[in-house]
Amino acid sequence: MCAVLLICCSYLSYQFLTDNFSFVYVFENSNKFLPTFYKFSAFWSAHEGSFLLMILIMTLSMAFNNFFFWEKKWLPLSNATIAFITFFYLIFLIFTSNPFLTFDVMPKNGTDLNPLLQDPLLVIHPPVLFSGYVFYAITFSLVIAGMFKGFEQALFKNLKLWAGISWFTLTLGILLGSIWAYYELGWGGYWFWDPVENVALLPWLAGTAFTHSLVFSRNKILLSWMVFLGISVFLLSILGSFIVRSGILNSVHSFASDPSRGVFLLSLFALFSFASIALFFSRSVFLQSDWPKFLSKQYLLVLNNLVLLVILLIVFLGTLYPIATEVFYGQKLSIGPDYFSQLITPLVLILICLFSVEQFPSLLREHRNVFFTSAIAITAGIIALEFLDFSPISFSLIFVLVALVIMLLRAIAEFFKTKEVAIMHKILGHFSVVLLTFAVLFNHQYSESVDLKLKPGQSTEFADSSLEFKSIEILGKENFDTVVANFYVKDKNFQADVISEKRVYKIGGIITSETGIASFPTKDYHIVLGDRFQDGSWSIRYSINYGIMMIWASSFLLLFSMLYGTIRRYGY
Amino acid sequence: MVTRFFTVVVLVLLITMLGIFSYSLNQKSAQLELIKTQEGKQLAIGKEIYDLEGKKIEKEFLTDGKVLLNVWASWCITCLVEHPFLKSITATKDVKLVGINYKDQINNAQNYLEKNGDPYVLSIYDLSGDFSLKLGVTGAPETFLIIDGEIVSHRIGEVNIDVWNEKFAKYF
Amino acid sequence: MKNLQNTFRLLLILSLSLTAEQLYEGLNEEQLQRLTYLSDNIRCPKCTYGNISSSNAPISKDLKEEIAELIIVGYSDQEIFNLMEDRYGEYVILKTDPSKNRSLFIIPLIVLLISILLISTYTIKKSK
Repeated sequence: MCAVLLICCSYLSYQFLTDNFSFVYVFENSNKFLPTFYKFSAFWSAHEGSFLLMILIMTLSMAFNNFFFWEKKWLPLSNATIAFITFFYLIFLIFTSNPFLTFDVMPKNGTDLNPLLQDPLLVIHPPVLFSGYVFYAITFSLVIAGMFKGFEQALFKNLKLWAGISWFTLTLGILLGSIWAYYELGWGGYWFWDPVENVALLPWLAGTAFTHSLVFSRNKILLSWMVFLGISVFLLSILGSFIVRSGILNSVHSFASDPSRGVFLLSLFALFSFASIALFFSRSVFLQSDWPKFLSKQYLLVLNNLVLLVILLIVFLGTLYPIATEVFYGQKLSIGPDYFSQLITPLVLILICLFSVEQFPSLLREHRNVFFTSAIAITAGIIALEFLDFSPISFSLIFVLVALVIMLLRAIAEFFKTKEVAIMHKILGHFSVVLLTFAVLFNHQYSESVDLKLKPGQSTEFADSSLEFKSIEILGKENFDTVVANFYVKDKNFQADVISEKRVYKIGGIITSETGIASFPTKDYHIVLGDRFQDGSWSIRYSINYGIMMIWASSFLLLFSMLYGTIRRYGY
Repeated sequence: MVTRFFTVVVLVLLITMLGIFSYSLNQKSAQLELIKTQEGKQLAIGKEIYDLEGKKIEKEFLTDGKVLLNVWASWCITCLVEHPFLKSITATKDVKLVGINYKDQINNAQNYLEKNGDPYVLSIYDLSGDFSLKLGVTGAPETFLIIDGEIVSHRIGEVNIDVWNEKFAKYF
Repeated sequence: MKNLQNTFRLLLILSLSLTAEQLYEGLNEEQLQRLTYLSDNIRCPKCTYGNISSSNAPISKDLKEEIAELIIVGYSDQEIFNLMEDRYGEYVILKTDPSKNRSLFIIPLIVLLISILLISTYTIKKSK
């Protein structure tokens, strides 16, 4: 099965690389003047090809799983599940999204690949993201197998490996998307709480809860909870596919007027959800396991998962609410980033509370009452602050800083005690989450921007920095012409040359703005070239974004600890 | 037991959600635009308006009878695609087509009309885009049908034979 | 070379006309803050996503200038939101009003509190 798909994909790639525009898909997404690297990546730039790619990765992973996972007990069921999924996906592909459709007459040249997609980051982001979803399909198949054949250590070992790989890949995929948005779209932000982004976040949140619940597999606690989460991650990723690919986001009407794709995806989702929930329902008797003790580590984990799932609920509601209002009231509503950040920030703080506390299990046992009351007090305080709108961000910043310090101390203490950090990845991982939260809050609170009007040769001052507009020149490249503006930014500690461009793509006439970014450890300088005034001056948007490098650094640290943890655990 | 109860709750929520999605399939109305069209509003003319020759345009010119306002510009590629259709519609039907030259320099606009033909009775000169902004224009091309000062039909995007039949034909 | 000339001509075509309110010279500190707040919460009508603050589309810049003018003339924040909503529809307002969308805010809170309560009481009961 895997081999067949490999052949299909190579065939399609070949058509792209040889500019065979008789294929509709190639025509729509490629062009004679496109650099070869992008001709190859155009394969997964749109719906049909990317779906084919997903199926390919799924079969590849299944082959991999068969090859390396020696426990024959669960393999057949796992394979069966994947085959089942692949079968339906292929039907969907052939009937509604065939990348191999052809024209009767071959056009001379194609329409171009969207310039936004002509970026190395956006070339790797989709495959990585799809891999994340696909790997979670594998964990789903293993969970299903476990439901029928029982959960034993051997299965858990494999499950942990796949869960770790999936989590790592999905996180990486989302992170790459964020990085691309920041550097390529250049609006100074990295996350807009847009439905398309949220839809990738939903499986990630469930995946985080799932991976954490695997931690206690040794004692077989909360088995049914873990199984349910495993199923949810997979279902959420299919739901995500439906929402993004059906057109329902544009407008309910665009979905209704060309429903073939959407209906098929929706039915797929319905099929898999009913099937897995039915299975879960029937097998739940066999998933009986222990329940944690009050205020034990496992109990805290349950609370942790709970908060994560409430965050999931918020993202879910915020994404689906506009669709629901449109269906019932005909009015299209926007849920802006404010809604999400306002509600999720206190929950994240609570999470940080929880897992910081979890680092000190001994203290927990001894001073139970103190912890209990202080926990309630802090939680109530955080929630109240949110609704009182009492400069919560500065408070949150300080709070997070305190948590950071605590974790650091804990790590150092452990290091000195044992001369070796046993669960480094755990401490490192949680530490990086706290660091990330801090960086995000820091960025949100202190970043600023200004709109300027400058002539080449002029300089100006803003927020402890000076900006000099050096020159303007016009250049021509392979598939676009560009106006290049050179700037020089200087502040107390750093200085840099920054280049900002405005490009006109030759085919299609699309105009894009390439933001000039100078990155330093604590802040980024952002320059967007606007339009030219009649007197020769240019409109420029100059922004100072704090903490961006810190955000990337802590994210990569998190990724590293995930990877390290997965490899380490598998070694047990 | 707890798990089974929980499962049932999830199932109910799932069915609700699927229901909403399926119900949405019944909504096949024509309106595909995210941004509200300006239909139903009165045409508001604030400051004075001039045509491409510099002559002043009286308010009544736009508010009396049936006027088809078309937003265009020499730099707008889709407008060029729409242009032949506009020429054919003014040639075959009695349509008072008034252009709004959007964010365009006068000589570029005049060159465009010379080169491609001028289906407009006249074109309003709107270099700043202010008139268009107040009208509710978000870009070019856009077309408004105004009858006695009220916007009865508004198309965001280019006009071709299908759009014409759907949005404007019934008024002529 | 011809292409480059065309590009430059294209850019000249896109040149803006000079008016007094360009780049918000008429606004004081507090008004600039209001402008930032308003532009962060109004969606660009022509873009897939983004507010008028971060978007490069001509309509976004125009809207930002218009809002600047409205601020100077004395419109309040809510009046400006109403004007935009009136012109483009509710879709263009990114701010989510709690009083109009109560369920969005109440549901997560209730779910959180009830589930913590349920889990805790169940755990304590089981521990006995």
